[in-house]
Amino acid sequence: MILKESTIKEIKTRMERYPSRRSAILPALTAAYRQVGHLDNAVYKEISRVIEIPYVEIAEAATFYTMFPKHEVGKYLIQVCHNISCSLRGADNMLIYMQEKLGIKMGETTDDNLFTLISVECLGGCSAAPMMQINQDYYEDLSREKIDTIFADLRAKAEEEGK
Amino acid sequence: MQGRNGLPVCVKNMSDNGKEKEQVTLTIDGKEISVDKGTTVLDAATLMGIHIPTFCWHPKLDSIGACRMCLVDVEKFPKPAVACATEAMPGMIVRTDTDEIVKARRGVLEFMLLNHPLDCPTCDKGGECDLQDNVFHYGIDKSRQAFTRRRVIDDQTTDAFDDKRIGPEIIRNMNRCVTCYKCIRFNKEIAGEYDLGAYERGNHTVIDAAPGEQIDNFYSGNVVEICPVGALTNTDWRYKIRNWKAKQTLSLCSHDADGQNIMLWHDQRQLWRATSRRNDDIDDGWICNIARYGYQYINSPDRLKTPLIKKEGKQVPASWDEAISLISKRFKEIKDSKGSVCLAGLIGGNQSVETAYLFNKFFRNKLHTNNLDYRLEYIDLKGSDETEAYNCLYRAPFTIADLEQADVVFVFGSNFIKDHPAINLRLRKAYRKFGTKVYTANPVETKSADISLDEMIYSPDTETAFIAGLIHAIIDNKYYKNIDETKAAEVKTMLAPATLDEAARLCGIEQERIVNLAKVLSEANNPYILAGDYFVASAKRHRTANGMYDLANLLGIKDSNAIILASQANSMGADRVGVRPRLTENLKKTLIDKWGEELPESPGSNTSQILNNSLDEEIDGLFILGANPAMRYPDGPFVNSALDKLDFLVVADLFETATSAKADVVLPLAGWAEQSGAYVNVEGRYQKFEKAQDADKGIKSGIEIIHSIARAMDLSLNLDNAALMHETKDIVDAFEREARDEAKFFEVKQAQIPEHDNYPYRLLVGNDIHHFGYVTEHCPSLMRFTPEPYLEISPNLAEKLGIDEETLVRIESTTGKLVLKARFSEYFEGDVLFIPNNFSATEVTGLVSREGGGWVKIEKLDDK
Amino acid sequence: MLKTFWDIIKTTVIALPIGLYTTFKHVFKKPVTKKYPKAKSEMMPRYRGLHYLERYDDGTERCVCCGLCAAACPADAIYMEPDENEKGERFAKVYEINMIRCIFCGFCEEACPEEAIFLGHEFELANDNRDGFIYSKDDMLVEHPRKDRPYKTIYRRTRRHSM
Repeated sequence: MILKESTIKEIKTRMERYPSRRSAILPALTAAYRQVGHLDNAVYKEISRVIEIPYVEIAEAATFYTMFPKHEVGKYLIQVCHNISCSLRGADNMLIYMQEKLGIKMGETTDDNLFTLISVECLGGCSAAPMMQINQDYYEDLSREKIDTIFADLRAKAEEEGK
Repeated sequence: MQGRNGLPVCVKNMSDNGKEKEQVTLTIDGKEISVDKGTTVLDAATLMGIHIPTFCWHPKLDSIGACRMCLVDVEKFPKPAVACATEAMPGMIVRTDTDEIVKARRGVLEFMLLNHPLDCPTCDKGGECDLQDNVFHYGIDKSRQAFTRRRVIDDQTTDAFDDKRIGPEIIRNMNRCVTCYKCIRFNKEIAGEYDLGAYERGNHTVIDAAPGEQIDNFYSGNVVEICPVGALTNTDWRYKIRNWKAKQTLSLCSHDADGQNIMLWHDQRQLWRATSRRNDDIDDGWICNIARYGYQYINSPDRLKTPLIKKEGKQVPASWDEAISLISKRFKEIKDSKGSVCLAGLIGGNQSVETAYLFNKFFRNKLHTNNLDYRLEYIDLKGSDETEAYNCLYRAPFTIADLEQADVVFVFGSNFIKDHPAINLRLRKAYRKFGTKVYTANPVETKSADISLDEMIYSPDTETAFIAGLIHAIIDNKYYKNIDETKAAEVKTMLAPATLDEAARLCGIEQERIVNLAKVLSEANNPYILAGDYFVASAKRHRTANGMYDLANLLGIKDSNAIILASQANSMGADRVGVRPRLTENLKKTLIDKWGEELPESPGSNTSQILNNSLDEEIDGLFILGANPAMRYPDGPFVNSALDKLDFLVVADLFETATSAKADVVLPLAGWAEQSGAYVNVEGRYQKFEKAQDADKGIKSGIEIIHSIARAMDLSLNLDNAALMHETKDIVDAFEREARDEAKFFEVKQAQIPEHDNYPYRLLVGNDIHHFGYVTEHCPSLMRFTPEPYLEISPNLAEKLGIDEETLVRIESTTGKLVLKARFSEYFEGDVLFIPNNFSATEVTGLVSREGGGWVKIEKLDDK
Repeated sequence: MLKTFWDIIKTTVIALPIGLYTTFKHVFKKPVTKKYPKAKSEMMPRYRGLHYLERYDDGTERCVCCGLCAAACPADAIYMEPDENEKGERFAKVYEINMIRCIFCGFCEEACPEEAIFLGHEFELANDNRDGFIYSKDDMLVEHPRKDRPYKTIYRRTRRHSM
């Protein structure tokens, strides 16, 4: 059992809000993602059992959305926008810098299991490009110094939580 | 309301069906056309004969507009619209051939070719590929791309072509895919299967099976056929022959009774493949895997090539002349010394209707015996099939396409996906498109569960009790029509069990569900009752048939709507031309007219009587044409000893079988693709098939064999092939059945269910889902789906007995024993087991008694 | 009709030395004929003789048995049966050309999308046995890829499957 009782309960309450069970696929995936941190075949199987929709349909919906990571990620998932606005304002350089800074390549996770770095399509923050999203938060108008402080803050936060 | 797969059940007012629809008039390429409201622009253009290229559109699937190939110009639309998903509107002005449209389509094609590898020389679709055709038509001969193409490489791919096997038969090459989603839509919309999915999106889309699963559903072959490119191909046609090299012949599925239309592809060497030949009255263009791969037995190297004659206990090859003269000599001897009642003939249900008719004429008119039958598969108590109710329902006229008009369909004792693939798909279509309510009652759960509103599982052998319960429910709640109360009370006295409560307890279904079904059936405008193979395979089916007859009369169901479905390709044909001991008055008259002679007067014997009589030495000579009772007829030891007792047994068959091993003369028989003829399908529809290839020199068709035996016996049948065809057609056309008498009611008595203390488990024997009859084990493709016999068992029971999947289990009944591998089935519950009887290696029928089906005990075999 | 004395003198005494002079002149010249079969003449580059089947540089057969040569063949001289090799690739299990039927038009060479079949300069096809005219793959497949480029300037793909 990967999903906790509370998650299953949440999915079930969400299901009641929709006329058909199929509509509950995305809320279920979101709830599962929030609990597990990523989605994979085992999670799809479990959701399929809970909302009684064929497994394939769940997997199709989940893989369609790039915002659900499909394999284990670090504590902080860094999604860097590489679309046109951010690119023009130097997102690529930021990405290179972040890779150097974290010592990982795109799509990899740091050894301490803290950061996973991926690039994504437009996140709708063009007004403050270049920008990135770490877990649920936006970080905008990035510069090298800003990235340094953000990472340092997050590391400190993680350490604190670890204690 | 929701079905099991979570799809909302469409509820539609059925009275709308058949009403004239509102018309809209639009202009396409300068010509006006009026079409029904709701028609798409593409369909309207097709009606006018204007061709619009497509990839993702299919006439039988919902439009999704995924490929953008069918772009057309619509006046006042800001940009080109997809014709397949644009509804025709009044006053619309559409152009399909402007320069802008051609340019737009070229653009779409160029994008498709971005990632499409140009490996047409190695691709099996080459020559019949939509992409090839369209690219050729739009003349895109140069690529502007400077980057490398996408390659999808899986772990299991072979080195060179990025092919991945995603099913026993299906190979996927994702590089070639143009993401039309036809395969997935077919699987979900038509077949109701959820084993194929499209993962990721856009450029990265991957079509694949669910992890750990295979695309092995019963209709999976269709996804290969509808794939517009070579992304999905099958092993059957893989690297065999180019499609332009193969000739095509119109043919029919030679196995199940639905009469699915197929096209055989062949050259001088062999048959290469079968594809669907759309017939909207029957199959809608979707054929099952058995129809698709079931032709392969014709190509088998194990075919009999020369006649065999038993000499000193051994069968040795002989010439045709020798074999035929021996047969004629021995038949003459038997006829002269003991009389013609000592001769009998059995013919398989997949011989053409012409062969069946000639067989009938040879035995009735020339040998003067009525010992004839074509029903060799099921338990047949003495004459039980000849009851009025059974015959009336068995020969009920109906059409598969009319099932769409039904508002309630009650499926009684049938696993449709196995027995009647076309009817199964039609039911699914009716359910999905027209909101038909489906109710099922079966001894085990079936694959139709997801469209069934209430799937009732009765305990085995209680069919009669179930139907009696249903009649009780109707009478108790006054749901009946057409009759008064006194008559109803009278009918109630004819039932056993005597109350609904008792009946419900006996068959193990809650009363409320039976009452609910009765209510739904009585409220429906156009209900159907379909009985299939579980029904037919039960020993006391004539009692149940009586119940079904009463039920139909009580509810005032139309004559054509209560049907017992025939099981083999030409069962109905053999029935119609009279290959059975007792004939209807009408048919007798027709035959006497045709032959100008009275028919023999002896009562005649059916299959079980023939076998019984041969044990009693009352039948000495038996001619079996294209059938294998030793493997398929229940109670193997009994059949074997009956065949051993015969003085003279002639078997004509394609292969050496358990039956042919007992024969004094074995004749090699041509398959259905090696002769032309016709089948009469479950609806009574007469359909012709054509000869695809010549049989080997030593092989003769059934018609030739009968003719040559008759000639050798100095009996002229006096029918050349053309005359035979006409005469058969006349007789099939002249067939008339007595309509159901709405005032007539029969007794419905549940037979005593025998106690089986030592043998607690009920064994069902039948066709495996991917096999049919005894010939499909010579089809390599079907053997890839189910390679060996197995024992299907419910997980609960297996756990109780400590049986794991794949462990060997000993199965024992009063008549025989067997060791098989166990296989779990999600559809089974409780004490019901299943073994397929399609494999010659196991004598499954040895476990089944003639009187009441199979009761067995099972135990785990020690690992030693 | 009687010939005059001068006529006889002209045709014998005078013409003979003139003729013999020509003959003796050629004795010391290089002959135009070749001592076939000891010496063979060089064929023109566009000469279409016996077919050969090419190989890739790594030694694998080029022919994938697509059937286009057979489709293009006006004499219907080509017969082939494809099969799958252990790698899952398509190859010609049987490839036969009936040289009695073949009219050496070279359409097969034109049609071949894999540049696998060429008409070479070999012309000695005589045989005393009709079956001997059916050339199978063993007879036509070259041992090593031929270095000499045929007349047609073709672009030879170095990679086996350019994706």
